[in-house]
Amino acid sequence: MDFERFKVHGEPLIYGAMISIALATIGIIIGLTYFKKWGYLWREWLTTVDHKRIGVMYILAALLMLFRGGVDAMMMRLQTAAPEMKFLDAQHYNEVFTTHGLIMILFMAMPFIIGLMNVIVPLQIGARDVAFPRLNAVSFWLFFFGAMLLNISFVIGGSPDAGWSAYFPLASLEFSPTVGNNYYSLALQISGIGTLLTGVNFIVTILKMRAPGMKLMKMPMFIWSALLTNVIIVFAFPVLTVALALMMFDRLFGSQFFTMSNGGMDMLWANLFWVWGHPEVYIVILPAFGIYSEIIATFSKKNLYGYTSMVFSMVIISLLSFLVWAHHFYTMGQGAMVNGFFSITTMAIAVPTGVKIFNWLFTLRKGRITFTTPMLYTLAFIPIFTIGGVTGVMLAMASADYQYHNTMFLVAHFHYVLIPGAVFAVIAGFHYWFPKVFGFRLNDRLGRHAFWWIAISFNVTFFPLFLLGLMGMTRRTYTYSAETGFGPLNSLSFVGAVGLCIGFVILVYNIYWSTRYMPKDTNGDPWDGRTLEWATNSPIPAYNFAIVPKVQTRDAFWTSKVDNIPLFEEKITKIHMPSNTGKPFIMGVIFFIFGFSMVFSLWIPAILAAVGIVIVMATMSFDRDHGFYISAEEVIATEKKLRGETV
Amino acid sequence: MMKQLFPIRHVMGYLASLVLSAAALTVLYADLSDSANIVILLITALIQASLQLFLFMHIGENTETKKELYLNLAYALFVGLVTIFGTLFIFVWGWYA
Amino acid sequence: MKIDASKPLEYSTEENSNKIFGFWVFLGAEIALFATLFTVYLVMVNRFASGPSGPEIFEIGPVLYETFLLLSSSFTIGLAVHAMRHGYKKAMMVFIGITLLMGLAFAGIEVMEFLTYIHEGATLQTSGFLSSLFVLLGTHGAHVSFGLLWGGAILIQLWRQGINPATANKTFIFSLYWHFLDIVWIFIFSFVYLKGLM
Repeated sequence: MDFERFKVHGEPLIYGAMISIALATIGIIIGLTYFKKWGYLWREWLTTVDHKRIGVMYILAALLMLFRGGVDAMMMRLQTAAPEMKFLDAQHYNEVFTTHGLIMILFMAMPFIIGLMNVIVPLQIGARDVAFPRLNAVSFWLFFFGAMLLNISFVIGGSPDAGWSAYFPLASLEFSPTVGNNYYSLALQISGIGTLLTGVNFIVTILKMRAPGMKLMKMPMFIWSALLTNVIIVFAFPVLTVALALMMFDRLFGSQFFTMSNGGMDMLWANLFWVWGHPEVYIVILPAFGIYSEIIATFSKKNLYGYTSMVFSMVIISLLSFLVWAHHFYTMGQGAMVNGFFSITTMAIAVPTGVKIFNWLFTLRKGRITFTTPMLYTLAFIPIFTIGGVTGVMLAMASADYQYHNTMFLVAHFHYVLIPGAVFAVIAGFHYWFPKVFGFRLNDRLGRHAFWWIAISFNVTFFPLFLLGLMGMTRRTYTYSAETGFGPLNSLSFVGAVGLCIGFVILVYNIYWSTRYMPKDTNGDPWDGRTLEWATNSPIPAYNFAIVPKVQTRDAFWTSKVDNIPLFEEKITKIHMPSNTGKPFIMGVIFFIFGFSMVFSLWIPAILAAVGIVIVMATMSFDRDHGFYISAEEVIATEKKLRGETV
Repeated sequence: MMKQLFPIRHVMGYLASLVLSAAALTVLYADLSDSANIVILLITALIQASLQLFLFMHIGENTETKKELYLNLAYALFVGLVTIFGTLFIFVWGWYA
Repeated sequence: MKIDASKPLEYSTEENSNKIFGFWVFLGAEIALFATLFTVYLVMVNRFASGPSGPEIFEIGPVLYETFLLLSSSFTIGLAVHAMRHGYKKAMMVFIGITLLMGLAFAGIEVMEFLTYIHEGATLQTSGFLSSLFVLLGTHGAHVSFGLLWGGAILIQLWRQGINPATANKTFIFSLYWHFLDIVWIFIFSFVYLKGLM
């Protein structure tokens, strides 16, 4: 075998990364062995089917990926901070911006959001778990090992380097001969299958497992956003599955889908990628709308203004999201009729989005507002996202887009949409729901410090990019000469990026500080919340609710507090729980081996791994484990303990 | 026994699908225009698909989820048709020439 | 486990009826998947470059056999579910067995068809048209092959456990899958073969 293929010949930076990965791995292994935590890790986490623990693992993985993608971002900003920088070479810069995009969208924003959905959705609808707990674990491990597969690419074989959109012919074997884009096609495929299964799971959970009395139009707004997001996932991800499979066929088996000879059509890749890619944007944005709706209502002490119009605007957005994809390639060569059509549909999305913005503003109006950390992120989101949206309408105009296309203006636009629209939202949601999961709040003063650093630095980082784009700086250029005049604004942007780093360091420090010093919260409702997740204890017991709640109104928990409507009327009985299983984890490992073998065209291990996957599926099918029961006495004891009473 | 094992609705549905497949073959042997042929193929295929959905797959039998199943199907068809015809619109009918 | 006796066995527990609903949602995703493959095929259909075009390689004979086999197997799996609802375990297993045999024959003919194409110099690597043809047919064929393994596993479980809520549920879901593959085939038959040959 030719071992040269596995090596990455690079710079000290990559060798440094290799050594630090090796040291961290050894450190983790020694640590787990020294503290005898292997059994704990396996029993409590790797084999868990509990939606809350799976959610926490999603969020941990997302934070890890936020760090990785953030380091990539810093490297890019440093490389472009001054003209003719020599920090990264062109190839390394290509790899860095490619992985930055992939990781931030697919392995940071999506898992963070899916993690929050995992923790919160069953609680908000008053259910004991998701519809298919074991499938949920399969989803997580496929996502996780897909993410790991992409992450090892930069130390084994080389990272993908053709942009996160991997346009052909650049991503073809001819122009990207390293294994980088093989990693792309397989890692995304594996985690994409996991995401698709999540979509199915949550649609069934939301449509079929709501507490009695919770009609569709009584669901909390976050549940609506989660439902529509999962609908988009289910119907958009198959397109990605096909596109990635065709890419793999082209690169590994010499098929002619996206080639430039023998009838291939490179532009078809761009088309398929964005048929999935645009709905993907809404997959990360819609849940954010849901999170903000919850936070605004809670901290304004009012019910959400215009509930029905909120729901309908999201339904319309979910449909329109499938009708706009060609606006990503106005300049590709299709006729004016096509561009005109997609221009109009794109601008039309601004209408339902505007409806939502006004509904939030009206909810705030005359509310008794408390400025907690999650609320600050929400309030900052509204103006910043509006700038992103308005520049989006500018880009939507096909004829004007010929000027903006592939410039830093576009880069600034989508960061102005995605950072307030997704990152602020998950941070806000993280602060908001943190006490529910861990039983204590994050410190508000440190939280506010982090917020101001992040919000201000964000604008310092990205606003200059609008101007740079209008000056003509194209995206993905690794360097420029001093005569272009791009230097000062890029330096300013780098200063902002450093500020963002400081903000995130404070955020992480806050988690550490709060874990040590924040007081325990015993009533389960630290924010005076409105929805059902606050009606149970914090931290949440394994069975979620000792008694299944009966819902009569929207904001069920709020009305139960204000109007004294009892939520829990029945007696505590024994509760059925699913058993833990290690099979999803094992399946993830085998998928990883399969993906890795395919990347390097190692056919025999690939076939063996494929057989292994089928065998694990078969053993899951033959499994006759029907779970177990928690007795009523045990439930009563747990409830008392969580409320701080003596048993 | 035989009557219970071979319910008349299923047998009729099966025969209908065979007949419809045979009918679709007319596009090979009758000398019709291209658009007439496409219409024949569309009609025979859609009827057959509906036979499977309603008769064999019992899509409407569970009243609890009937509405959701139809919505799911409608959404899937929406996305599928938009993908097919949108792509053809971009690359074939609306291509700059 | 609560069993609701008013419903057919395969829907009888909450978990069972959730599984059926979830599988329908998954079939929605499958519709999007095959629609995308059809998209690729329809864009590629005339891009055969120096290789053969559709009419030059398609033969109606084997396609008719395949169609007949798949339609009939869809009929027999429907009969299997019907027999299951009447509690006829043996008849049910026989119908599933016939279904799987016909599926196997279908897969065999498809493999022969692929070998013929390759023998004629029409391979995956020849042209955009042939790449899209092989992947569209191959994805459907792979689904059928996976169905053979799945159906086989269900037969073993039926043989061991008889008809109970779990096996009834699995059989019903498998029947949905099989009917769905038949629907996909109808569209392949009409818009790949017949449209190519007309």
